[in-house]
Amino acid sequence: MSGTTEENVDSESPRSVRSEGNTILEVRDATVSFEMERGESRVLNGVDLSVERDEVLGIVGESGSGKSMLANALLDAVVDPGKTSGSVRYFPPDGRDPIDVLELNDDELRTFRWEEISIVFQGAMSSFNPTMKIRDHFAETIDAHDADPEECIERAYDLLSELYLDADRVLDSYPHELSGGMQQRTLIALSLILEPDVLVMDEPTAALDLLMQRSIISLLDRLQREYDLTLVFITHDLPLVAHLADRIAVMYAFELAEIGPAEEIITNAAHPYTRMLLGSTPNLDAPVDEMRVIEGSSPDPVAPPTGCRYHPRCPISRDICAESSPEFEDVSAEHQAACFFHEEASDAVTYPIGEDNDAIETEGSSTSSRDYGEPILSLDDVTVEFEGDQSILDLFDEPEYVRAVDDVSLDVHEDDVVALVGESGCGKTTLGKTIIGVHRPESGNVTYRGQDIWEARDSHREAEISFSEIRGALQMIHQDPGSSLNPNKRVIHSLRKPLKKSQPDLERVEQERRIMAMLEYVGMSPPEDYANRYPHQLSGGEKQRVALIRALLMNPDVILADEAISALDVSLRVEMMELLLDLQGRFNTSFVFISHDLSNARYLAEKADGRIAVMYLGEIVEIGTVEQIIHDPQHPYTQALRWATPDLNPRNESEESPIRAIDIPDPKDPPSGCRFHTRCPEAREICRQVHPTNISTNGSEVACFRADPDHDYWDSPSIVNEESDDDETSMSTLD
Amino acid sequence: MSNQNNPLELLETTDDVEPTTRSERWRVWIDLWILTPLQIMWKDRRTRYGSLIILLYFMVGTVGVRLVSPATQNEGPAYVQPFDFEYTHMVYGYEVWQFPLGTNGFGEDIFAQTIHATPAMLQMMLAGGVFTAFVGAVVGIVAGYKRGTTERILMTAADIQIAIPGLPLLIVLAMALQPRSPIVVGLILGITSWAGLARALHSQVLALRSESYVEASRLMGFGSFPIMRDDLIPNIMPFIMINFMNAAIGIIHLSVGLYFLGVLPFTTDNWGVMINFAYNHGALLSWAGLPWLLAPIFAISLLGYGITIFSQGMDRLFNPRVRARHATTMDDSDEPDPMQ
Repeated sequence: MSGTTEENVDSESPRSVRSEGNTILEVRDATVSFEMERGESRVLNGVDLSVERDEVLGIVGESGSGKSMLANALLDAVVDPGKTSGSVRYFPPDGRDPIDVLELNDDELRTFRWEEISIVFQGAMSSFNPTMKIRDHFAETIDAHDADPEECIERAYDLLSELYLDADRVLDSYPHELSGGMQQRTLIALSLILEPDVLVMDEPTAALDLLMQRSIISLLDRLQREYDLTLVFITHDLPLVAHLADRIAVMYAFELAEIGPAEEIITNAAHPYTRMLLGSTPNLDAPVDEMRVIEGSSPDPVAPPTGCRYHPRCPISRDICAESSPEFEDVSAEHQAACFFHEEASDAVTYPIGEDNDAIETEGSSTSSRDYGEPILSLDDVTVEFEGDQSILDLFDEPEYVRAVDDVSLDVHEDDVVALVGESGCGKTTLGKTIIGVHRPESGNVTYRGQDIWEARDSHREAEISFSEIRGALQMIHQDPGSSLNPNKRVIHSLRKPLKKSQPDLERVEQERRIMAMLEYVGMSPPEDYANRYPHQLSGGEKQRVALIRALLMNPDVILADEAISALDVSLRVEMMELLLDLQGRFNTSFVFISHDLSNARYLAEKADGRIAVMYLGEIVEIGTVEQIIHDPQHPYTQALRWATPDLNPRNESEESPIRAIDIPDPKDPPSGCRFHTRCPEAREICRQVHPTNISTNGSEVACFRADPDHDYWDSPSIVNEESDDDETSMSTLD
Repeated sequence: MSNQNNPLELLETTDDVEPTTRSERWRVWIDLWILTPLQIMWKDRRTRYGSLIILLYFMVGTVGVRLVSPATQNEGPAYVQPFDFEYTHMVYGYEVWQFPLGTNGFGEDIFAQTIHATPAMLQMMLAGGVFTAFVGAVVGIVAGYKRGTTERILMTAADIQIAIPGLPLLIVLAMALQPRSPIVVGLILGITSWAGLARALHSQVLALRSESYVEASRLMGFGSFPIMRDDLIPNIMPFIMINFMNAAIGIIHLSVGLYFLGVLPFTTDNWGVMINFAYNHGALLSWAGLPWLLAPIFAISLLGYGITIFSQGMDRLFNPRVRARHATTMDDSDEPDPMQ
């Protein structure tokens, strides 16, 4: 163990000092179980945890690790027929007697839940009643707790403006009129309206974009200090809480695996699982070659492994691990891990964070000189429009159009990887589907090996390359593993379909042999067993693999992977990306990879020697090699995305936010000039008036005046500090 | 397209998988589509009793009519009460009641009448149910999947059908056509019920067609018919089946109502006709006529009950999770956590 860690322990912040009198929530042996047909399912198993006053505790775990159950148990909010046992004690700040949360009756719970502890759930949309205005939601809460309405509404105004929301506008809106990020912030304000001491947040940002996520984290950090809050922040995303949390607890298989100060967990994790998790998390700084995969899958809550629950997947497990389950052992005064061999873990499982890896960032940039041949697919000034919603009143008006993709040109070459990155609603899925000929562009051409796709479709057999051939050559993997396979058909049936199309005269036995070989190849063995399963008998990662095989059996030239790994657990993402890369190399297939996550895009593009394209409001604002986009981003928006991507290195302290407004402008009515000027930290008067065209700078293309040193931009006055009347959500004052 | 990068060619080298034989495939198929469904049906109380009741009616309609001779007028005195030991006859050496459910005002055996009405009722029910389910399913699925002009035409037709009041239409049709065959009666009665099913299926298909796996099939270049057959219909089959059952019950009730009102021509023995006669001969006014009224009512109710509980249990049969758990040819040990 290096000297820096020792220092970390000593120089811990005063907030995380553990003393008996400072505990606000104490959880002892908390267990949640469900009776099921197959037996008792323990989705939380004997968790001991104390939450200190005014700290930020991050609880991290993969899906199905029991972290949401822990959140619900803290408020005794486990849904029927789940049973909670153990004890949860709350110590009120004003020295009243401790409250035993699990013993409260319904009335007491109702008061307790908003006034002492409140909770923010993941899906803000389903937390609001769609038929009620936001103001009524506040009024209802205030009313139910007999609080002083005037005082509370005043606080609501404070909280909302604290969260960069226009309080009057938000309060008079219906939930659907707010964007996802605005809803989530409103929900945070609502949960704080009765001045609770503890705020439990269950994946509050998981459904949001990176920029919004990062902005909310910054806001939470400020709120926590300002209102003396105790935050329990539950997430699957370790890097996200790394900077926010004082302490981090890691859950595995419905138990706590490790708990300790955030910095120590990140730099010097003691439990092998935490170390593997850290090593498998894609991020921007660590070298891609050092990321690795966790073998195996999470256990079943009905029949968990005996002894240490991690032992079947653990690289340093011994006989004792299977026989008895480890108690918490002190790694340092503040840091405990449930592992017999935690002292050996740091040598057995390495991960790049905390080590010196500055040298890797400056590797040679030979990639830009890659020689591309003829493109397979080529987009030329493509524009895609959607008709907006119309009510019966505008029946006679011109229909309103949303430009999902605006004047985009892009080439996809053989054996290429193009990663499309951007916030939701920026048109990346629409562009992807236009590339593979699903959406028909309003203007511009999409050509496949020189043949215009839509001409081929209209002229049927006269085209040089028939549409059905093009159709087969352009395939897709969808985002949601849950709906990517027909739930009523077995795997073998789903996989036989593409073969029927691509090789119709193949014998049945031969078909089967190839499917089995493919299943074996992607690591689903024994293949006969997997082939006969229904989709519900596969895990999310396995479903995505079957979907990948299904696409590959068409023998395509280009596969569009639409957020194909976003729904997977963090530890499975690298594995899936490795598989994509392996198959790409083997079968010479090009990938168009859509992601909202820069670090995933970087991983894939860097390993495949491909490019990253950054999209904003229907336009590609910057495109270039990984080297250029990640290490030398030119466009202010790319820089903002880079800022928003959580990274693990605790030395990269979060700088201030580079964007001026949190919320994306309405795509129906995009800003004039450069579309990013409303949020750009470098915007000048000219950006408001003139639309920038792509400028090439040594291989990459940037749609920003700043890339041209001789542009009029440099003489134009800045608009960054301008007081805008309608832009209440401006972040220019954010510290 | 260059063939050297064909994944299928490449894979042949990595291949040493035993192909499954034809008999093996048959074994899996039989297990999956015959044995497992039967097992699931037997395990659920509703489908077990429901199918037994339906089977009973089917046996009565096929075998029962051969064992019991048809009722004739004045084969006994009028209004003999049920289970009266004064009237017995010998069946295979056993002395049993001659009129187990008594006789009606014409001295006909009520039991024999009820039995001999069954085949016609079953035919009517089947014809009406199949017609409703088939037309409703085809219209709803095609309209939902094809969209555009096809959708507009089909849905307009369904809406018109829904907008026309059903009962007057049926009465007019029955008067005009004077259908005698029970199958034709069933088809006519089905006219009122297909449109509702088409509407409901249309909205289900609209949701299903945007599922990723349907889009994936489209991207592979499959046409509308294979997609509807493989991707859409299996997933809405439970809905169609339950509607088929409900339509069948509806047809019986409608026909009995129309026979009772005297709108449909009296042909063979029929539960509706029996109720009509019983009512018109004052069965409501005297205890003696009560069996005449109750026997057909009971026959209708029991069949309706059987079909209802059977269709309630049906959704388990179509659920791939339940099917997989019961299949012996399938290893279900590592089913992912159902909590997700």
